[in-house]
Amino acid sequence: MSLLQIHDPAASPRPIGIDLGTTNSLVAYVGAMGEPVVVRDCDGEALVPSVVHYAGDRVTVVGARARDLALEHPRDTLVSVKRFMGRGADDPETRTLGPYRFASATGPVVRFEVGEGRVVTPVEVSAEILRDLRERAEDELGRVGGAVITVPAYFDDAQRQATRDAARLAGIEVLRLLNEPTAAALAYGLEHRKNGRFLVFDLGGGTFDVTLLDLDDGVFQVRATGGDSQLGGDDFDRAIASRLLEHLGHREAPSAPPSAVRYALEAARSIKHALTDHDLVETTLDHGGQSVLLRVTRAEFDAWTAPLVARTQVACRKVLRDATCSAADVEGIILVGGATRIPSVRRAVASLFGREPLADIDPDLVVAMGASLQADILAGQGPRQDVLLLDVLPLSLGIEAMGGVVERILPRNTAIPAEAAQVFTTYAENQTGFEIHVVQGERELAADCRSLARFTLRGIPPMPAGLPRLEVRFAVDADGLLRVSASERTTGMSQDVEVKPTYGLDDAAIEQMLLDAYEHGERDVVARALSEQRIEAERVLAATDKALAEDADLLAPDERSRIDAAMAGLRTACGGDAHRRIVARIEDLDAATREFAGRRMDRAIRRALTGQSLASVETDTARAAGLDAHMPPSMREDD
Amino acid sequence: MSDPFSTLGLPASFDLRPDEIDRAYRDLQKVLHPDRFAGRSPQERRLGFGRAVEVNQAYRIVRNELARAEALLTLRGHAVSPDRKALPALLMEMMERREALSEARAAGDLETVRAVAEEVRSERAAACTQLSELFALEPEAGSSSVADAVIRLRYLERFLDELEAIEEDAASVP
Repeated sequence: MSLLQIHDPAASPRPIGIDLGTTNSLVAYVGAMGEPVVVRDCDGEALVPSVVHYAGDRVTVVGARARDLALEHPRDTLVSVKRFMGRGADDPETRTLGPYRFASATGPVVRFEVGEGRVVTPVEVSAEILRDLRERAEDELGRVGGAVITVPAYFDDAQRQATRDAARLAGIEVLRLLNEPTAAALAYGLEHRKNGRFLVFDLGGGTFDVTLLDLDDGVFQVRATGGDSQLGGDDFDRAIASRLLEHLGHREAPSAPPSAVRYALEAARSIKHALTDHDLVETTLDHGGQSVLLRVTRAEFDAWTAPLVARTQVACRKVLRDATCSAADVEGIILVGGATRIPSVRRAVASLFGREPLADIDPDLVVAMGASLQADILAGQGPRQDVLLLDVLPLSLGIEAMGGVVERILPRNTAIPAEAAQVFTTYAENQTGFEIHVVQGERELAADCRSLARFTLRGIPPMPAGLPRLEVRFAVDADGLLRVSASERTTGMSQDVEVKPTYGLDDAAIEQMLLDAYEHGERDVVARALSEQRIEAERVLAATDKALAEDADLLAPDERSRIDAAMAGLRTACGGDAHRRIVARIEDLDAATREFAGRRMDRAIRRALTGQSLASVETDTARAAGLDAHMPPSMREDD
Repeated sequence: MSDPFSTLGLPASFDLRPDEIDRAYRDLQKVLHPDRFAGRSPQERRLGFGRAVEVNQAYRIVRNELARAEALLTLRGHAVSPDRKALPALLMEMMERREALSEARAAGDLETVRAVAEEVRSERAAACTQLSELFALEPEAGSSSVADAVIRLRYLERFLDELEAIEEDAASVP
């Protein structure tokens, strides 16, 4: 890459892939040759520490500079905030070892108190990190398009929703929330063109995912996924840090002063890193006027962290069981996440599967690389248009039924997108309201699962108990996000309510944060709405043009002229400044193409059912050629 | 919704190989998955979403032997009634197994739990073979012998779920 880059202002925006990690985050894109490129700063560093420091005068500092400030300002510097995403103020995570001050002990959202009385939520902190990553990408690419953002596969709905909202706050259009292990597999599968059954073992800073998937000629089908969204490298640090605090004279680790906790966590991290390559580390703890010489052996470290390693093994077995597959069926294990560098973790994986895991792509970079590939595919660019990721719902979704028991509506590992409905009835005479409590998790009792939403279906006509038919419908999209709708079907006057589960921050709260973030408030928001609608209009017009080019023969002349007229109307509206008019014209075009869309769909399905058409065989060949083109010669396989 | 077999473009048969089901499923998702609609109009996105959901649902049914057998009977107009009782011999057999299991569990005898699970797994395989034969013998019918075989498979699957949960619990205590 040349040092001097001249941006073409007319260049089309480039889609990006973002790995929003617990410890580090990074951004990547697909280069001109179809290869994933990680964005690096002027020092060649790709990893941005996921650390945000809140200084005075509403100044925020992100990344390595923030990390440097953590020791001096432990409470105003938020580290590993991902562990709090989508969590309530009373979540157990808020009671683990850490230096923070929380604004309240109850409530649906974690709120940190930082400098000068500012209170911030994990969504806002994550938005700062995302904004920084977007700016880095813009420095390199000029214009940046939509983003694929990765999330742990085991993230529940609240955590996913929170991630999406953080992107919205950062002004990033989310093309897709992609599961981290699937992203890693995408990077591996394309780089090596291996078919077969793979297990991705992803131990990050704060989350652990294990995903079993089949690769088959460009299709990545997830069979089962599992893990622990509260287990990661951080927990290894904490295990060491508790011992270090004892050496510094703090018998009760959690009540140690914040600066001592932050110091111990940092020291623990360096000890962990040193023990990856050495059997023994000697270090001097120097804090609070004390100086303690300490020796830690790898055997000691392994003993302290053995329960954590054991938890990873349990999750692996469970995933194998869910996929009705044995360890011997797995053809390759892919290691992802910095914590998979820990020797005892690697040893445990190798012994469970009876083979050495693969780690030839840097485990810190592989997820962002996969995300950029998926962004490229979704943007309809590049040579990989036949690559497809088929993912699953990580945790069962259900409703609290009588007695607090969970009635499962969509079981875990259901292929997404998915929909399912369940009919309930009333248990009291003339009951006119019905409370619905949506939960996610595998436990029998609703109280032990994560609560996603509570709402009441009102206006049920008075009827004897057991007569109304209340249908609750769950729809999960390809991002793994849930929408719930409910209706009463006996009376024929089916009343629908649609609920987007929230984790405490509703749309209004996010809107307010957006307003606060803009200097000129409302005016900026209006300008932004207009530009968003123009982009959407361009997209719809391009899509319609493409559809017409492919399948114009499906239309009668009068149908064709109706569509042409609607397109002309939308083009005219785009020339104006009224965003509502653009919205209306998009809807008109949508209506004009309804029949056409249906016929195109039927044609596509018929083709898929009757085997490959000649055209798709040609694309396959082109894809294969495209893959070879971006591989270094040493990696090309001719088998 | 049309029947799950025709949704996947597969013959309505019990004897489908996992790999041919996977193939049909993936070929359809290559066309219908929301990722394929990223640049399309909202209209087409909605339509595609509905179809992708339908294909996922059909796949879930057809890929699992028990659900496949039940769907096949429903298609033939002989759905197994939810009120249909299991044969007394089956109930007796499962009850004895359950007793043996709870004793083994109480005694912390994981070896026996594993042995029972192994036994049930092979019986499950046998039940599938039996179903395949019955479906072949009676291509049109949903005689009571088929329904009984389906119920037997249902019991075995449920029991196996419990067994595996116990094995897992035991494994999670290091």
